[in-house]
Amino acid sequence: MAALKIPVEMRKLANGLRVVVSPDSAAPLVTVGVYYNIGFRLEPQGRSGFAHLFEHMMFQGSENAGKMMHIQLINSSGGVLNGSTHYDLTNYFETVPSNALERVLWLEADRMRSLKVDDENLRNQRDVVKEEVRVNVLNQPYGGFSWLDLPPVAFRNWANAHNFYGEFADLDAASLVDVKAFFDAYYRPSNAVLVIVGDADPQEAFALAAKYFEPIPSEPPVPQADATEPLQTEERRGIVEEKFGTLPAVAIGYRTPERRTPDWYALALADYVLHGGRAGRVYRRLVLEEELALDAEGGLGDVIEFNGPMQMVTKIIFKPEVTNEQILKAYDEVIAEFREKGVGADELAQIKVKFRSDYYSSLESGRQGFPKFGLLHYLACLTLFDGDPNLVNTILDEFLKVTPEQVKAFAEKYLAPTQRAIVYRLPVTKPMAEAVAQGVA
Amino acid sequence: MAATTHTARFRSDVPALGAERPVTWPARPRKKLSNGLEVVLVESHSIPKFHGELMIRSGNSDASAGVADLTATVARTGTARRSSHEIEDDLRSWGADLGTTSGADIGAIEFAGLSEFAPKILELVAELAAQASFPEDEFEREKRQKLEELAISRTTPDFLAMERIRKVMYGEHPYANYAPTADQVSAFTRETLANFYSAHYRPSRALMVIVGDFAPAKMMDEIERAFSDWSGAAPERAARPNPPERKGRRVYLVHLPGAVQAQIITGNRVITRKHPDWLRLALANNIFGGAFNSRLVANIREQKGYTYSPRSGASSLREYAMFNVNAAVRNEVVAATLTEIFYELDRIRSLPVTAAELENAKNYMTGVFSLQLGTQEGMLGQLTGALIDELPEDYLETFRDRIRSMTADDVIGAARKYFDSANTQIVVVGDKNAIGEQAALFGDVTTFDAQGNHI
Repeated sequence: MAALKIPVEMRKLANGLRVVVSPDSAAPLVTVGVYYNIGFRLEPQGRSGFAHLFEHMMFQGSENAGKMMHIQLINSSGGVLNGSTHYDLTNYFETVPSNALERVLWLEADRMRSLKVDDENLRNQRDVVKEEVRVNVLNQPYGGFSWLDLPPVAFRNWANAHNFYGEFADLDAASLVDVKAFFDAYYRPSNAVLVIVGDADPQEAFALAAKYFEPIPSEPPVPQADATEPLQTEERRGIVEEKFGTLPAVAIGYRTPERRTPDWYALALADYVLHGGRAGRVYRRLVLEEELALDAEGGLGDVIEFNGPMQMVTKIIFKPEVTNEQILKAYDEVIAEFREKGVGADELAQIKVKFRSDYYSSLESGRQGFPKFGLLHYLACLTLFDGDPNLVNTILDEFLKVTPEQVKAFAEKYLAPTQRAIVYRLPVTKPMAEAVAQGVA
Repeated sequence: MAATTHTARFRSDVPALGAERPVTWPARPRKKLSNGLEVVLVESHSIPKFHGELMIRSGNSDASAGVADLTATVARTGTARRSSHEIEDDLRSWGADLGTTSGADIGAIEFAGLSEFAPKILELVAELAAQASFPEDEFEREKRQKLEELAISRTTPDFLAMERIRKVMYGEHPYANYAPTADQVSAFTRETLANFYSAHYRPSRALMVIVGDFAPAKMMDEIERAFSDWSGAAPERAARPNPPERKGRRVYLVHLPGAVQAQIITGNRVITRKHPDWLRLALANNIFGGAFNSRLVANIREQKGYTYSPRSGASSLREYAMFNVNAAVRNEVVAATLTEIFYELDRIRSLPVTAAELENAKNYMTGVFSLQLGTQEGMLGQLTGALIDELPEDYLETFRDRIRSMTADDVIGAARKYFDSANTQIVVVGDKNAIGEQAALFGDVTTFDAQGNHI
């Protein structure tokens, strides 16, 4: 296996904005992203859902490109655009034919320096966001299971424990004053990274980036807010009502180690032992062998994009004739065996092949219609959180160096009952009443 | 609000586009093997992997509802040489992913993996295509799973909306069967699936497309070796009943008690993807509601805030196609949303689009078409779509010029022919007590429960 040699160059502008360029002229396309080091974790208290609502506002107009103009200018250049809000970052990204690079940089710079929105825009996007929450959560079977269900049970710091999509009352309370304050506090050059991937000459790309972003004055770095969690010493449980779905479900989440520590690398491999489709131990045992569950999946999501307390989560939708305790007992047997015996050298070797293959795929894709979005995403995260985009070439080796002993040590330490939270999501009918009677939660 | 305007040195006008680099589609070596299997390869060295799809031209409309789908599911659980457990372990050890699916017309084995393991992965794909063993216990489990999955699907608004619009649009034609009923699934036996497999998983009309990091000549040799034992001819499709001609607007309400949102989908029959007007329809759709920068999105999302992700589009099956408009809206604005949908349909049928709208939409369509060049998966999707529909050989190369040559007359012509506002069928999934009166403003209402029974 050859070492990765993705070309990566980084420059820092005078105002603190980091610019990362990874040239690849195989196709006449360029993908651009601006990442801000603020996600929904650190949105203001009393304003749950605000970071995401704010992301919508960034499409509502800036000084030189009014409402609908960002969208129209990108689409009419033959490109696509989107934005998304995550735990620890918010991103805005575009893929365009490479002759539109300058236009994209101008647009991104314009909204970094001069968001220009009014009350009407805010009312409109608040309505849109509420429909987004309804279509994804409130009107869907198992909507928000378990990314909205687990945090309030698992965590004690409001930053990690609140409703990230937003309570409607909090969304209603959000005002233009909040919008301005949030923009001023977090949307600064020094709190962002600009990444350009694809058909762009690095020197030209840096020159264009300087031309449009350098006029934005420098502001002091954003102070680091406290998202730390107190040490967890006991298992935590909760219960949530399932309004539409016909089957009971349970999510089990374990606290994860800090980013780029030896345990963190082992965690990523341990995740593949337990999860990862039909070959993972949990699915194999609960769905295929014991036939207790309809589905059992989970994991870390994208380990590279988190920079704060997280959980490795298993989500299980189980059969109506299986009791809440039975499903947990079967799951616990898988965990107990893993903690006791660890992972065999052959199994780990097999997993590493899959891990490597998945890493390549992450670099290549990630989001439909945005070629190389995954590479862009990793470059941005590794710059924001680790200060070194070149890790994209070497971090895979760190994962592949993990030994069976490290995986076992991780499992023993982190997969302890005292380190987990369990949330049952139960249909409003019989199982819910049973669970309350049994006192499972 | 001017949140923060830092400096006057910033330019206020939009930078012009630079000179365009030509878009070049890669060579696509093609070969029909002696057993009839057609193979198309594309080199793409972006990552040391490959992505492929093996397609048979039979699907859920070629048997009782759900048979093809469950056949595909169970086909991956065992072959003459490997157990389910071994298949999954093997895939993982080759860094491979594999899925087996069936749509209305097509069954597919989708696969991806590290190039270094290509011969082994191809061998497994060939085994799944030719020698699936349908173990009894795997079949029984997958059937029980399917029943539970169906029960959950029937609590999911977009599933219920699609299921109902297919029934409305296709009537007695088997395209109406979007999903089987629980009773139908319960009646399946192992032999139901094994017989479908034995008849339809044949190379005579099969197509395999692979995009990735390989040398095509060597890859072609490996494919011939792996698939040499696969033989036989799939049956030709028999004639099927015509779908009904729907005249006038009617409303079909699927009652989902407690729903806090209404899922709207409208439909009218249009041409299939092979029709010469297809790209005119696509361009008109793009301006109407097929893109973020479209009239529908500007109206019911960006102006009125009724919905998060409204879209329109024509979806083509092999024999018939329909044009749909989709929106999930809060209960209070069902009538308001339908009013705007019909206003926009009638507007684009009545008035020519502006020169700027036309130019923007053409640029968008030609640009986005080329974005698929950037990844193996994108290229695969682009190519399988064109090949399975038997579009002209130079479809990829000529697409941009064909779009660029279109005029405002093409758009209004397509809108008048294909956005059949007066005969549009309307499906709404939601709580009838909250939305029933609003829905009834748009036509006679027939109401169903989530299981498909009239209520």
